[in-house]
Amino acid sequence: MNSMWLIAREEWRYWVRSRLARVSVLIFVGLIIASSLFSTLQTLDARHQRLHQQEVAEQTFLSQPARHPHRMVHYGHYAFRPPPPLAVFDPGIDVVTGQSIFLEGHRQNTAMFADARAQAKAGGFGILTPAMVYQILFPLLLIIIGHDIVAREREARTLAPLMGQGVTGITLYCGKALALLGLVGVLALPVLLVSVMSVLLGESIPAGLFLTLTYALFLTCWSALLLLVSFAFKTRGIILAVLMLFWLFGTLIIPRIAVATGDASFPTEGKILTDLRMKDDLREIGDGHNDADPTFSKLKAELLAQYNVGNVEDLPMNFRGVVASTAEARLTKTLNDYAEKRMERESRQSRIIRDFGALSPFLAVGHASKSIAGTDLKSHHRFLREAEVLRFGYVQALNEVHAGQIAYSDDINRSSDQGAEKRTRVDPENWRVLKQFRFETSGTNARLARAAPSLSFLTIWTLGLLGVGVLLARGASP
Amino acid sequence: MTYEFRFFLRDRAALFWILLTLFTASVAVFQGVQETAQQRSTLAELKQLDKTEREAVLAEQSNWGLAAYYTFHLTYDPPSGFAFAAMGERDTSPWIYRIRMLALEGQIYETDGENPDFANIGRFDFAFVVSVLSPILIILLLFDLRSGERTAGRLELIEVSARNPQHVWMMRAGIRIAAVILALSVPLWAGSLLESTDFTIVLFATIAVTVYVLFWGLVAVIQAKAHRAGSVNLAVLAGIWVLFCAVMPTAISLVSNRAVAVPEGGDIILTQREAVNDAWDLPKDTTMKLFLDRHPDWADNATVEKPFEWKWYYAFQQVGDQTAEQLSRDYREGRKKRNRLSSMLSLISPASMIQGYFEKLAGTDMTSSLNYEMRVRNFHAELRKWYYPKLFKDEPYEAGILETLPQYEPDGGP
Repeated sequence: MNSMWLIAREEWRYWVRSRLARVSVLIFVGLIIASSLFSTLQTLDARHQRLHQQEVAEQTFLSQPARHPHRMVHYGHYAFRPPPPLAVFDPGIDVVTGQSIFLEGHRQNTAMFADARAQAKAGGFGILTPAMVYQILFPLLLIIIGHDIVAREREARTLAPLMGQGVTGITLYCGKALALLGLVGVLALPVLLVSVMSVLLGESIPAGLFLTLTYALFLTCWSALLLLVSFAFKTRGIILAVLMLFWLFGTLIIPRIAVATGDASFPTEGKILTDLRMKDDLREIGDGHNDADPTFSKLKAELLAQYNVGNVEDLPMNFRGVVASTAEARLTKTLNDYAEKRMERESRQSRIIRDFGALSPFLAVGHASKSIAGTDLKSHHRFLREAEVLRFGYVQALNEVHAGQIAYSDDINRSSDQGAEKRTRVDPENWRVLKQFRFETSGTNARLARAAPSLSFLTIWTLGLLGVGVLLARGASP
Repeated sequence: MTYEFRFFLRDRAALFWILLTLFTASVAVFQGVQETAQQRSTLAELKQLDKTEREAVLAEQSNWGLAAYYTFHLTYDPPSGFAFAAMGERDTSPWIYRIRMLALEGQIYETDGENPDFANIGRFDFAFVVSVLSPILIILLLFDLRSGERTAGRLELIEVSARNPQHVWMMRAGIRIAAVILALSVPLWAGSLLESTDFTIVLFATIAVTVYVLFWGLVAVIQAKAHRAGSVNLAVLAGIWVLFCAVMPTAISLVSNRAVAVPEGGDIILTQREAVNDAWDLPKDTTMKLFLDRHPDWADNATVEKPFEWKWYYAFQQVGDQTAEQLSRDYREGRKKRNRLSSMLSLISPASMIQGYFEKLAGTDMTSSLNYEMRVRNFHAELRKWYYPKLFKDEPYEAGILETLPQYEPDGGP
């Protein structure tokens, strides 16, 4: 026990004295601080702005003058998605997806203005986020500092005397592991700080805590790999080569193979192609602007029979409003079917990528981190669904106004008769049917549950590497 | 020379890294070729569907206004023969739009999104392999060229027995660098053959790869010559790699984004929507006057008598675009300026430079994307030019004339 501490303390002392270790840690920590600061400013700004835009959009809608309710259906509304607090650390797919959707009648628009389009690009990994610094660069740092953790002693011929004094391989392993754990503790400080800040911004404590633990686990996993390789091979060159190979495959190659596999297993069909296919289905629904469309004759006959009248003018409600409402409901069902199909496909593709986390700790930590931060695909899908509920809600409420408050005779003559046109304009009080919309991140438990598979991959990796490492250490010889 | 070459062939570590380079470059090229093939087949299918759909829709129409309202037109930017090597903007900006004669500003910002998780991880194209991955492999090949021999205890022997010790190291490094260049170029040439890429483009791309690899080789050799331990060399080289391939691209993007303000995209659509929607409540003369300011040719036909007339409807669509014109131009100009600034700043970052150069060769850079957008704008203007006489002069509807509708030409110049 005592010699384990001694070994760890000796290692720490070496790192503190080594200019290489000092400078490397300083550079990487500087990098993480710089990217965190920048990301914080950017994210808080975006968050503030989206919340503000959402309020403005609602006020604008409510302050519209008297007009035909169907015009408000087309006037439309906006749904905005403010980034969650932990997006400061991991903006996840928010960088790629649009942050706002224009909502209007008869259409489901895609999220607009992915930031990526207007951004200047300069190759490399794009803009480094704090999460990327941890996921891509920190393992490199660990390799640089720790690859010679055993080999150095062997080269300096201090390993033989050490083991001659009765230090077993296990003790040596534990001592070095303890040293690396100390380093992991230091390297996890920045993510801890950002998590604390996010909690102050409204994030839940368990989410912040788990994010920190996830990255600590990821770094521990790499430390375990360092140890295993250090005990498996004798020369520094081979140790380095194996570690670098692992990093190359885990970080750069496997993730992109995962993407290609996901895409190939469930090929993506573009929106335009889907739209074209959908057109065929939609033609059967009929045009909601045209109450003479034959698809509505059944509806007409039913209503006439129900109210026992001879023609639509005598119905107690505006038949055109009923048609608009019926068409919207049918149309939305079709649109939702297609949207669900697309989201289902994306989820399957992403599940394949997630499962590749079994081969690459990089993918596992990336998925867990996005899930905990609430910047993953699932969060984006939830936003799309909630925005759709908002859209359908206000459109149907306005169609109800259309059916209930406007006379059919005025409605059909409004294009040719100025007086009828005036009478079809309803009071702006009616615009209050619009529901307030504030997009919230999913609950902590849901996010943690989504991260669970990836966290277990990381845990299995770590335990496995530690286990094999210990086995090798038992038979270690100088 | 032949001795060194034989030595290289026996050096299993070196061979391993070279084979890895060959492997990754091949995978990247293969995926790129597959992706362009996919894009082409999507396009072919879309063109067919688009035509069928337009014909079906047009057959049901009874006047010019409705025909213009319901017919969409496919515009597209087909992948070039070199797109397989660098997908660039094609991953983030649309290369297909289906547009109609409504206000264009409301249609041109839609994104045809892929699974965002894909874009998040990034594309593994040839440009990425060369710019980001190959430097690491070069570093791994060269960092302990000398220190490795020292650890193995052969350093003195080699330096004493060679007539010119300097010569030995240069030869050894030279062979490895040449091998990396070949390992990258051969897959590139294979891909170019499959895609029948223009010869000059392949030539320039190969020169770029060579220069870039030489640059990194030089950096690594200079560092490896220093009488230091291998791990120090590696750490320093890894630091240089992080600086050039991760930090500088980030800094360049951030600086360019900060330095050039670009209007919020959402504002353009919002402005245009407001203008179009307000028009319903404005006196028709106000709208027509705004329209005539820019299109005086129709002054004699611009009286609107009924509460709804198609010419008025399309006039306020046009006015909607006019209202958002300034913002829209600022958005385009802003993107151009950002792009110019970032390509200028790229001069300090070789990784950014070669990435940008590849995208330029492939026609997948920001400029190409903006040019495509301009082609779409021009096509939309042509549509208007075609329909306006029919709407304003109230020409009788004649389905046969629809065959003379403008056709989108993908290479019709910006």
